[in-house]
Amino acid sequence: GAGQDVGRSCILVSIAGKNVMLDCGMHMGYNDDRRFPDFSYITQNGRLTDFLDCVIISHFHLDHCGALPYFSEMVGYDGPIYMTHPTKAICPILLEDYRKITVDKKGETNFFTSQMIKDCMKKVVAVHLHQTVQVDEELEIKAYYAGHVLGAAMFQIKVGCESVVYTGDYNMTPDRHLGAAWIDKCRPDLLISESTYATTIRDSKRCRERDFLKKVHETVERGGKVLIPVFALGRAQELCILLETFWERMNLKAPIYFSTGLTEKANHYYKLFITWTNQKIRKTFVQRNMFEFKHIKAFDRAFADNPGPMVVFATPGMLHAGQSLQIFRKWAGNEKNMVIMPGYCVQGTVGHKILSGQRKLEMEGRQILEVKMQVEYMSFSAHADAKGIMQLIRQAEPRNVLLVHGEAKKMEFLKQKIEQEFRVSCYMPANGETTTVFTNPCIPVDISLGLLKRETAIGPLPDAKKPKLMHGTLLMKDNSFRLVSPEQALKELGLAEHQLRFTCRVHIQDPRKEHETVLRVYNHLKGQVVLKDYSVQHLPDGSITVESILIQATAHSEDQGTKVLLVSWTYQDEELGSYLTALLKKGLPAGTS
Amino acid sequence: VCVAGYGHSGGNEILQLIPPPSLQVKETQGLCPERDFKVECGGFSTRPVYSLKYVPDTSLLVTSGPPDSSLQLWQVSAEDSDVIKPLSAITTGNGQPWAKIATLSTRGPWVLHGSRVDNVRITEVESRKNIYTAASRSSEELGGLAFLDHDTLLLCSAEGRLLLGDLRVPPSPLEVVSVPWVPSGQRWCMGVGHGPPGSASTSRPLLCLSSGGHLTLTDLRKTSEALAVVKCKVPSPTSHGDFLCVSWAPALESCLAVSGFDGAVRVYDARGWQGSGWEAEPTFLHRGHAVGGGWEGSGDPPPSVTTHTWHPQKARTLLSAASDGSLHVWDWVPPGEDC
Repeated sequence: GAGQDVGRSCILVSIAGKNVMLDCGMHMGYNDDRRFPDFSYITQNGRLTDFLDCVIISHFHLDHCGALPYFSEMVGYDGPIYMTHPTKAICPILLEDYRKITVDKKGETNFFTSQMIKDCMKKVVAVHLHQTVQVDEELEIKAYYAGHVLGAAMFQIKVGCESVVYTGDYNMTPDRHLGAAWIDKCRPDLLISESTYATTIRDSKRCRERDFLKKVHETVERGGKVLIPVFALGRAQELCILLETFWERMNLKAPIYFSTGLTEKANHYYKLFITWTNQKIRKTFVQRNMFEFKHIKAFDRAFADNPGPMVVFATPGMLHAGQSLQIFRKWAGNEKNMVIMPGYCVQGTVGHKILSGQRKLEMEGRQILEVKMQVEYMSFSAHADAKGIMQLIRQAEPRNVLLVHGEAKKMEFLKQKIEQEFRVSCYMPANGETTTVFTNPCIPVDISLGLLKRETAIGPLPDAKKPKLMHGTLLMKDNSFRLVSPEQALKELGLAEHQLRFTCRVHIQDPRKEHETVLRVYNHLKGQVVLKDYSVQHLPDGSITVESILIQATAHSEDQGTKVLLVSWTYQDEELGSYLTALLKKGLPAGTS
Repeated sequence: VCVAGYGHSGGNEILQLIPPPSLQVKETQGLCPERDFKVECGGFSTRPVYSLKYVPDTSLLVTSGPPDSSLQLWQVSAEDSDVIKPLSAITTGNGQPWAKIATLSTRGPWVLHGSRVDNVRITEVESRKNIYTAASRSSEELGGLAFLDHDTLLLCSAEGRLLLGDLRVPPSPLEVVSVPWVPSGQRWCMGVGHGPPGSASTSRPLLCLSSGGHLTLTDLRKTSEALAVVKCKVPSPTSHGDFLCVSWAPALESCLAVSGFDGAVRVYDARGWQGSGWEAEPTFLHRGHAVGGGWEGSGDPPPSVTTHTWHPQKARTLLSAASDGSLHVWDWVPPGEDC
C-alpha cells in the first residue's frame, strides 16, 4: 500500500540481503480485505518470520499500524517489531478502539481480537530517539524525531555502509505542542518520503488559526454551541492549546469541554512523554503544565443540554459513533450552532456526508435528522508540503529519493523539481511495483603500517601534483580487506618469493682503466640533481650502488677503448633502473674524473 | 491562479494553482481543506518570468522576461502529467529589454507583444505567423500595451506617450495620442478598464501610473484634456519600474488599485475625481506583505509588491504577490460598514 495511494502504508525494503517491512497500515476507506495490505507480495508460501528481519512502525495512526495485529497474529509473524515508546503505549489503545467499533458496532467477523492486539504488542521492542539498535549482527536501525503526532519517528535502516531512511509521516514546521522533524546529514542511499501534501501550498498557520478562532468566537458570541469532533490524540491537543490561549487573551467566559474517556488518557500520555513535545512546552512545564487547562473542563453528557454557548471537543473524529455523534444529533437542528470538522473523513461516516453537503441524514430507526447547524472544515493536519519535503532532502542528503503516499499524476512536477535541485534520482512506484536502486557501496580496506612507511620512505616524497603509484598486495581474508607489502603477503600465505632481476649493458667510450671509468660514472651520478635524495655509493670492490641498483664496469672483450657498464636492478626498482640506464646511455660528460 | 518566479540565476518555477473553494465562484460542496491552494501543474524556467499570459482558445501559456524581448511558449499539462512543458520561443529580433504581452479572448490565439514601440507585433501563436507589425520608427521603451477592442491596440511608452494602432488597415502608422499634462522624467505604465462583458473598451477611463506616484485618468474619446491627474501618496518614487501596476476593479463601479512602490497595495475610489495636482487618499491600504512574514528581524529589505490583480467575480477581493514569494488573497470592508 501507499504507493500512489493514501492509506494502508506498508513498504518492503530489501537491503544487502536483509528484508525490512516499514509500517503496516490499514486503509480506512474499505470495509473488506482491501483495507489490509496484500502480504502475498512478500512471499507466496514461505513463512513471513523467516523472510523478514524486522518490522518498523513509524507512528500510531491507523493507516500506519492498523493492520499490525492482523499481520502478526492472523497472517503470522513472530519476529521483532520496532517502534518508539509513545507509539508502543498508544497503538494498542487505538487498535482496541477501532476493533470495538468494527466488530461490536458493525458486526464484522474477519477481524483481529483484543487478545491478538495484546499478543502482537508483546513482540514490540521500544526504541529511543537517536539510539542505534542492533537488530542482528549486520542490521541496525535508528529513530529520528518526526513531529506530526506524539511519538512519530523517521527511521534509518543500515546494513554495512548501505542505508535507507523512511520518513513515515512528518512535519517540518513546529506547532504548538510538537517540534519539527529533524535528521542529520546521514547521506542515505535512499530516502523514502511521504508526499501526501506535496502539491499543496498551505495557507499560513496564522491565517488558518485566525479563521478557526473567528468562527468559534462568532458562534459563541451569538449564543451558539460549537462541536469539534476529534481523534483523542493528535490535533486535539493543538486546538486545545490554541483555544485556551485565545480564551485567556480575550477573557472569554463561555465554557470549553473535552469529552472524557479516551481523551483523559491522551493528556496523561502527553504528560508522560513530555520529552516528545516541543521545547516551549517542556520549558513552561516547570511553571505550568500546558496540558492542564484553565478554561477547558471535563465534559459530562448532561452538559449538552445546558443552555447558552459552549465549545465541546468530542471523539470520535468522523462522527461515526460515540459521544461526538450523540452531541451532534442534539445540536444539529439549531442554526446558531456550528460543527467544525478538523480532519479527513472516511466515506460512509456522518462526517463525510455532512462535508459533502448532505443536510438530511438517515439515522438509526429510519429517523431523519435535519442539519441546520453550520458545517465547517478546517484542515489542521501536520504533514510536510513540497517546501518541507525539499527541506528534509536538503538535511539528509540522500543519493536517491522515493515518494510514497501521493497521487501519481500530481507528482511528476515534484519529481523533476527534486531531480533538478539535488541531482538525485527520484522514484514513484505504484502498489505492487518494485523499484531497484543501485548503490555504490564503499569497501573499506586496511593498509599495513609497514607498507605505508616503506612507500613513503623510498624515493621522492609524495607530491600533490605528481601522484605516486603505490604497490601492495590485497589480501581478502576473514571478511576483511588488507593492503600489505608483497613480502608480508608472501609470508602470510607461506609462499616463496621469486626474485626478478634485470641487467642491462651500456657501452661507454673510455680508453682508461675500469676503475677510472667507474669513478667517472660515480661523479656523474653524484652530480645529478634528480638523484640527490638517493643513496649513491662507490663501494670498495669497484662497483657503484644507487639504492639497491648495482653498476659495474668491465672492459669490452674486443675493444680496449670501450667499457661495458652492467646495470642491474630488481623488478621493484624498475623505474629507477630504467632511468639510470637511459641516463648512462647518453654518455658521460667529458672531463669528469 | 498562475504564479512564476523572476530570479535572475535560473531555477524559476511556473505554478498553476487551484485556489481554495472559498475563492472559487463555483460552489463546490465537498471534502476540501478550506484554505489551501493546490499546485495543479508546474514548470521550470531558466529565464526570470516578468510577464505571463494564457493564450485564449488553447492550452498554451506565454511568458517573457529579460534579457531580451522573445516570448517563451509553454504547454499546460495534458491529462496524464502535471508538468508545464516548454515548447518553443517566439523571437522578434534583437529587442531589449523584455516584452510586454497582451491577449484578447475574442481574437483567439493571438498575442500582442513587444519591448519597444518599433518592435510591437501580433503573432498567431500556433502557426507562429506574424499578423501585424507596428509601423513606427520610435525606439522608445514600452510601459504597457493592450487590445482596446477587436481592432484597436493601445501602446503606452515608458515616457508616458500613448499610441493607437488600427488593425483593419495594416500597416498603418501608429497614431500618437497627445497627453500634454503628463509629468516628465518618470516611468509610466497603464491599466485598461474592461468593464462587464459586452461593454465598450472605452467605457472606463484609461489609467496611467508613473514611478513618481502620478495617476492620470484619460477618456480615450476625448484626449485633449485629462479627466483627472492626481498624486498618490507614496513614500518615495519607485526604482522598480517593472513592478508598477494599476488596474480597475472589474466588478466595482469606480474602484482602482495601485501597487509597485513598496509593500502595500492601495485601493482608491475614483468617483468624482477631476482636476489635477491634488493628492488622493486611498480607500484602503493592504499592508499585509510588509507586516509579519518574518523579514523584520532578518536584515533583509522589506518586500515589495510585484503585481496585483482583481478577482473576476468577487467584487472586493484582490490577489497580490511580493518579492519575498508571498501570495496574498484579501478583501476589505468599505469604511462605514460593519466589520
